[in-house]
Amino acid sequence: MSASVAAAPAARAFRGIGRDRWGLLGLVIVTIFFLLAAGVWLGWLGQDWARAVGGRWEPAGTEHWFGTNLLGQDIFQRAVYSARTAFEIGLVVALATTVLGAAFGALAGWRAFSWVDDVALWVKGVLDSVPFYLFVAALAYAMQGRAFAMHIAMILTFWTPTARLLRAEVMRLKAQDFVKSAQAIGLPAWRIVLRHVLPNTVHILLVQGTLVFVAAIKTEVILSFLGLGVQDGVSWGLMLAESTQEVIAGHFGNFLAASGFLFTFLLGLNLLSDALQDALDPTMTRRRGRMIKAPA
Amino acid sequence: MNAALAVRNLTVRFPGDPGVLAVDGVSLDIARGEVVGLVGESGCGKTATANAIMRLLEPSCITADSIRLGERELIALDERQFRRLRGRDISMVFQEPLTSLDPVLTVGSQVRAVIVRHGLARGKAAREAAADALRRMGLSDIHHLMGRYPHQLSGGMRQRIVIAMAMACSPAVLIADEPTTALDVTTQAQVLDELLRLGRDNGTAILLITHDLGVAARICGRIIVMREGKFVESAPTEQLFARPAHPYTVELIRAVPRVDQKPAEAPPPAGDSLLRLEGRRVSHPLRVAGKRRRLVAVKDVSLEIRRGEILGLVGESGCGKSTLAQSLVGLKPADGGSMYFDGRQVTGGQAAAWSRVRRQVQLVFQDPRASLSPRRSVGQSLIEPLDHFGIDTRTGRQARVAQALHRVGLEAALAFRYPHELSGGQRQRVALARALISEPDLIVADEPLSSLDVSVQARIIRLLLELRREMGFAVLLVSHDLAVIRQLADRVAVMYLGRIVESAPADALFENPAHPYTRALLSAVPGRAAGKPGGPLAGSEPPSLLTPPPGCVFHTRCPEAMNRCSRIDPPEFRVDHAVEPLSAHRVHCLLHENTH
Repeated sequence: MSASVAAAPAARAFRGIGRDRWGLLGLVIVTIFFLLAAGVWLGWLGQDWARAVGGRWEPAGTEHWFGTNLLGQDIFQRAVYSARTAFEIGLVVALATTVLGAAFGALAGWRAFSWVDDVALWVKGVLDSVPFYLFVAALAYAMQGRAFAMHIAMILTFWTPTARLLRAEVMRLKAQDFVKSAQAIGLPAWRIVLRHVLPNTVHILLVQGTLVFVAAIKTEVILSFLGLGVQDGVSWGLMLAESTQEVIAGHFGNFLAASGFLFTFLLGLNLLSDALQDALDPTMTRRRGRMIKAPA
Repeated sequence: MNAALAVRNLTVRFPGDPGVLAVDGVSLDIARGEVVGLVGESGCGKTATANAIMRLLEPSCITADSIRLGERELIALDERQFRRLRGRDISMVFQEPLTSLDPVLTVGSQVRAVIVRHGLARGKAAREAAADALRRMGLSDIHHLMGRYPHQLSGGMRQRIVIAMAMACSPAVLIADEPTTALDVTTQAQVLDELLRLGRDNGTAILLITHDLGVAARICGRIIVMREGKFVESAPTEQLFARPAHPYTVELIRAVPRVDQKPAEAPPPAGDSLLRLEGRRVSHPLRVAGKRRRLVAVKDVSLEIRRGEILGLVGESGCGKSTLAQSLVGLKPADGGSMYFDGRQVTGGQAAAWSRVRRQVQLVFQDPRASLSPRRSVGQSLIEPLDHFGIDTRTGRQARVAQALHRVGLEAALAFRYPHELSGGQRQRVALARALISEPDLIVADEPLSSLDVSVQARIIRLLLELRREMGFAVLLVSHDLAVIRQLADRVAVMYLGRIVESAPADALFENPAHPYTRALLSAVPGRAAGKPGGPLAGSEPPSLLTPPPGCVFHTRCPEAMNRCSRIDPPEFRVDHAVEPLSAHRVHCLLHENTH
């Protein structure tokens, strides 16, 4: 049996990813984008995204790496600024859905097959059966185009898979003897859930969180492209929407910058979340540099 | 030389860093029709040996000078040729009958598949052959059985089917890896006998792998003892027990708890009544075919535990013993009867009474891997009851944690380790320390030894007795293992289908069992049986709790059942003349109606 079977998740993840070449690449990519976003946040990068710094549709060159757009704004600056937008959306949605999913999942799993579970299941069923883009459109309309309509729509719908996964895991954990022994000394249920059950689901929440992070960024692009997404500011999705007209006219700056940034970032995130999944799964073991399912 | 299986210098090395040498150059011969036991504790390499012979491991792990099956050299075969042998000339039975059958195929089609695959028969003839294979394993109502799915059958039935499949082609060699470990004692005895008979009829050489010396002694002519990848001793069974040559064999034989051996210590003088149950009933809500029903797991149970006493509660799986144990601390709500703890009645609604019970009654579970939270250190797990009950000051609690670890024979530094860093024995010691840290009056231990190796078991048994003497707590020891009960318990209650059928002081029960079920249990214990031999049980499996038989619940399997037994639910009878009610020998059986 490997010694790292149930080490603290952070330590495990770190050790696991350190030995996984593709995971490491993902980590590097995500870190670079994070630094870009942090730079924008701190006011060091991409501050000129909204200013006309050149003429209309200037070609790519040393001054403007991806050229300028219709309004003479620097496309590279806009792409960099969009990293912040992406992170903002990803983080907000991932955090909120994780909290919601964990809360509903734990509640439903702990009280499985009770009325609480039934209600949670019903709510999940309703949310899952609404066509998503219609839901966002309706919400955006109802909220009169407020910037966070998109966030709310995603949070309201993206937590359901997390909750379902967690419900099953909590049901499994509840049947374990360490939970029974906590019950046997009379610990209140909320304390058992917080102290004994949820800490044992961290690996699921972490991986699920990164998946939602990716999904949120992709969805933002589509929503912004449809005009339902980012309202004030700039994002890769808005840039892609802009580029649809330009590509026909032979200006590829917006298209290349936005899709290139988006692709690289999502690739990095996916590599990272794959590696994280393997590193956190206690039943996986490393053999000749590859993760395999450990024999029972 | 006409060995059915001859292995020379087999080595198994698992890759990795640093890698594990699981089997270290072993050689073995099994003659036609011989039954050889391969015995050892977990991790000694016995399963790796079997898997290597069957080539179920990555070929790169296995090296051997020669593995011969009759006249054929197996090493020379490629994978395709080997596959043709498996199941036909050499086959294997695994431990877990639930996972070794495919859940989506019927029993009949699975047995038939083996026969068709090896070209023994086709179509209708294959069906006949499959039915025949099942019949030879002592199964009845074959036609009906073949149309059923594995989940509809009991563990004993499933294992019989697995063995029938393995024997369907009359292989020259059968390797059985812990074939009866997952079964109850009475079922185990039957399956072992059937396995033995089938082997004899076919002249099959059997390699029986087991951790249980008793099982090996029951059917094997020769036993090989394995330790750390090596065979340390190989001898005919009689000789091995009479004159073990290797010190490890001596240690192993001594560690095995025996039913026919009185414990070394006399029980301490009994104290006052600590816990008393009267007419206790526990049931689970259940949905059967869409209808809500209640499964009565414990029915009308009365029992009493005195201070400082170890009460053994014994019975086969599903008899309700764990449910009863868990209901004592409120994990399973009781829906009938009353419970008195330390003289005061404890009822569902009274929070104060329950909180006293919860502090004074602590649980120890079977699997110490599951009973400690994997994400909390040993120290954190130990201190939790102290925090919760508000025992001692903050610094005092730390000292108590160290003391508790010390008490169970562990170092205080272990408090900073996590459960996965400990061995099975250490984990069970930690679980025991956790139960004892609040200095309870009663420990409810649910199969506390069944997941441990015998040598570790023996040490924990000694530890438990020692601590009991020191601290004076009482124990409700739930176990299916009569030998463990014999070594630990002062008094024993036998449970069958949710009821207590017999209770008596341990000596009386083991030397003079009164209930036919107790007798059957005792005679089914592998190794040397003790007490009056009981008749074989009719019907291999206990009936379902959902449809308990009318009258005496045991009459459907009872070898001594009378006509009246199916009508009258037997009340309690006394078998002895003891004045003191608690040391009475009580039995629920009409055979004893006229004794007193």
